[in-house]
Amino acid sequence: MEHDYKKDGLKIGLEIHQQLNTNKLFCDCPSLLRNDEPDYTVERILNPVVGETGEIDVAAAHEKMKNKTFIYHVYDTNCLVELDESPPGEINVDALKIVLQIAELFHCNTFPVTQVMRKTVVDGTNTSGFQRTVLIAHDGYVETPEGKVGIETIALEEDSARKVSEDEKTKTFKLDRLGIPLVEITTKPEIYSPKQCKEVAMKIGEILRACNVKRGIGTIRQDVNVSIKGSKRVEIKGFQDPKMMIKTIDIEISRQKECLKNNECKNEVRGALPDGTSVFQRPMPGAARMYPETDVPLLKISRELINEAKNNLPKLASEHRSYLDEFGLNEELVKLILKQNKVEDFKTLNHVIESPELIAKSLTLFQMEIAKKEKKSLAEVSEILNVHLLEAILEEVGKKISKNDVRTVMQKIVQGETLDKAIEKSDINLKEEVEKFVKENPGLSQGAYMGLVMGKFRGKVSGKEVADVLKEVI
Amino acid sequence: MKTKTFSPGDKVALQTKSKLWKGYALESHDSEVILLKLESGYNIGIREGEILNAKVLEKAKPKDKKEVVLEKNPKLRNVVVIITGGTISSRLDYKSGGVIPTDAEDILNIAPEIKNVCNVTKIDTPFMKFSEDMSPSDWKKLAETCEPYLNDKSVDGIIITHGTDTLHYTAAALSFFIQNLNKPIALTYSQRSIDRASTDAALNLICSARYAISDIAEIALVGHKNSDDKICVAMPATKVRKLHTSRRDAFKIVNDTPIAEITSQELKILKTFNARSNNKPKLDTKFQDKVTLIKIHPGQDPSIIEYYEQQGYNGLIIETTGLGQVPGKFSSTNWIPKIKKAIQKGITVCATAQTIYGRLNPNVYSSGRELKKTGIIFLEDMLSETALIKLGWVLGHKNWNSKEKMSEKASNS
Repeated sequence: MEHDYKKDGLKIGLEIHQQLNTNKLFCDCPSLLRNDEPDYTVERILNPVVGETGEIDVAAAHEKMKNKTFIYHVYDTNCLVELDESPPGEINVDALKIVLQIAELFHCNTFPVTQVMRKTVVDGTNTSGFQRTVLIAHDGYVETPEGKVGIETIALEEDSARKVSEDEKTKTFKLDRLGIPLVEITTKPEIYSPKQCKEVAMKIGEILRACNVKRGIGTIRQDVNVSIKGSKRVEIKGFQDPKMMIKTIDIEISRQKECLKNNECKNEVRGALPDGTSVFQRPMPGAARMYPETDVPLLKISRELINEAKNNLPKLASEHRSYLDEFGLNEELVKLILKQNKVEDFKTLNHVIESPELIAKSLTLFQMEIAKKEKKSLAEVSEILNVHLLEAILEEVGKKISKNDVRTVMQKIVQGETLDKAIEKSDINLKEEVEKFVKENPGLSQGAYMGLVMGKFRGKVSGKEVADVLKEVI
Repeated sequence: MKTKTFSPGDKVALQTKSKLWKGYALESHDSEVILLKLESGYNIGIREGEILNAKVLEKAKPKDKKEVVLEKNPKLRNVVVIITGGTISSRLDYKSGGVIPTDAEDILNIAPEIKNVCNVTKIDTPFMKFSEDMSPSDWKKLAETCEPYLNDKSVDGIIITHGTDTLHYTAAALSFFIQNLNKPIALTYSQRSIDRASTDAALNLICSARYAISDIAEIALVGHKNSDDKICVAMPATKVRKLHTSRRDAFKIVNDTPIAEITSQELKILKTFNARSNNKPKLDTKFQDKVTLIKIHPGQDPSIIEYYEQQGYNGLIIETTGLGQVPGKFSSTNWIPKIKKAIQKGITVCATAQTIYGRLNPNVYSSGRELKKTGIIFLEDMLSETALIKLGWVLGHKNWNSKEKMSEKASNS
């Protein structure tokens, strides 16, 4: 499958959707995904609606043909807004602030006045029959090794409901994801090769991850718009992994060449499959599907709000890296801190104790080891050993505990002990004790000292700790 | 920009310092903001002061009003739809961005399945109002609009669409104004606008059509039974109230049970009903506007009654607490003397329950017994809104004995 992209007139545009780490966009419900049983369910239908061109939108009509009943699983973390039983509240300002930061990072111009729109969606993924979406900024760019790629628009929108199951008559969804704020980054069709497409996606992803966005599988979704000379634009939805882009786009180019041969090119939306192929989903929706959300006022974005965003821009991973590099940490630790998004925590703890390596280990390695030993998830352990607790532990170093005790204290706390108790038990100033032994019994071998110290503090200190201190003292 | 050279609906090109924007100009409620629909469908706002130059690319074309052809299937019953306004009959004009009344075509577009249930032979629009703006004269007008259709043998039933806020007042008013009813009248609504796919209007209209072709010659409010788009209930017109600001099932029956349960496929009758007949209906729309509703609350000053006396009111509904109490002689604001005086002056004063649900019983507490002695009429389990309408209607008849009429257990209250 060798394509001459230039000769083919390949044009690619990316649409990236990333969940923001806030409550929902138009109500105060937490953005919490649920895997337990719903509190209750509701059953709904969606009707064909006449769009602004006076015609029923093609994509909408296509869904209606399927004539399905929709069942929604409702949780106690949902309210009447997600149920389409109450008008939306005002837009979530926290989410707006994050998008303004993102707009700045992509060098975009922010709209001073903009309007929340309803984008007609009748596949049941929205209880209302539309997705609320609002343009926030336009005309920016992202730098890639192959040059700048224009950013067409940045929009803020609601995530859709999660599908649970589907049969001939019904489609079932959960309402937990519906309404989680998403930022949508749309590039201009200025990407000219699949490899560049992947690079742009990775770069945009890196910038997004510097902001207050959700992490993990399903929190970012990529759609790719592909066309070649003479064909029509096709949107391929649902990439979880940018690594699949190159193969998928190459296959799509071949498919479009085939369409061109048979003179049957169509604007359509296709779904990406894990093997790189794609499958027809629905016709490309027209502009008819957009109309204003009349239940919320015009969105005016003040200079102050934009300035606030500008003055609080998050650092990109590359900037974080150079910050961390100054501390002479080893590569593994730097990578772990970046990967686990703990740079801010590192900075906080750096004010408590002058020991970058200990801080880095407490934030990453120690927690991973404890998680493994205690058979808990890293997330759970990190939640217990939050930055405030680590601050309290590290403040005791040189007072009630030594550096070598930090890991043990952390582990005891994860086991369920209180901070006071965990510190008390390791209330041994090993260095002082070792010095005492050496002074009282001069001239012995390291092994002999080791035996003496271990004999006294059996079970309270580890052999490695004693050996380390002995090395230091002798 | 010096003068605005374009109007809503025009395709325009607006030059700002940073960019040339092309799109359709929209109606804007903010005089300093020009709203523009971009080709992508998104709307954005541009502050008027930022526009350096504006050019009209294409003038808006007036929309061709399509003539609606109402098809007729001889096998189906015939229904007239009367549109009065409200969410169910207003939609957004996409071109201008303003809210406009729906036309007949839209109503049928919402629920195309209606064509399989009945023939909509006529769509009548006596007025278009949000229901909070309605007054007794609108109820009269609506009853008068129904009359010819009730007398027309070729019409089998009527559907009235209406705003939700005061729909239950209208329902009660029609119940008193139209006597000797001979065919079904369904009042219906929507809580979600009809320009969205999730509109509740579709099921409400289809179920109303099923009601309108049924043999139930009663006025009913037809709407969602619960949050599901599955079942509607036919609710007795004088025993129903809006009890939620936004849910689909905003209307609930109070102190009664549904006449029927309706799905898009069938109507299930749930109790005895007044059957379709060849009766000649009689319109009786006499109404006395000088009636009002007072909700009792702790510490409330009873001299409000004197105010209404001075303003020439001759009927008061007092929404009492609990089983039928007002602040009495142990209160700093004793209502009993003022109520007694008003009744002596010839004002008809009635009591209803502010609990909404339940029946009054003034015999349980001494304050209730005191209130009873004033000559107030306890309206049992009648809804306050229904009571208000009934009182206005009764007092509209100069020669009627209002005390007797109000106490009468009319079949429709």
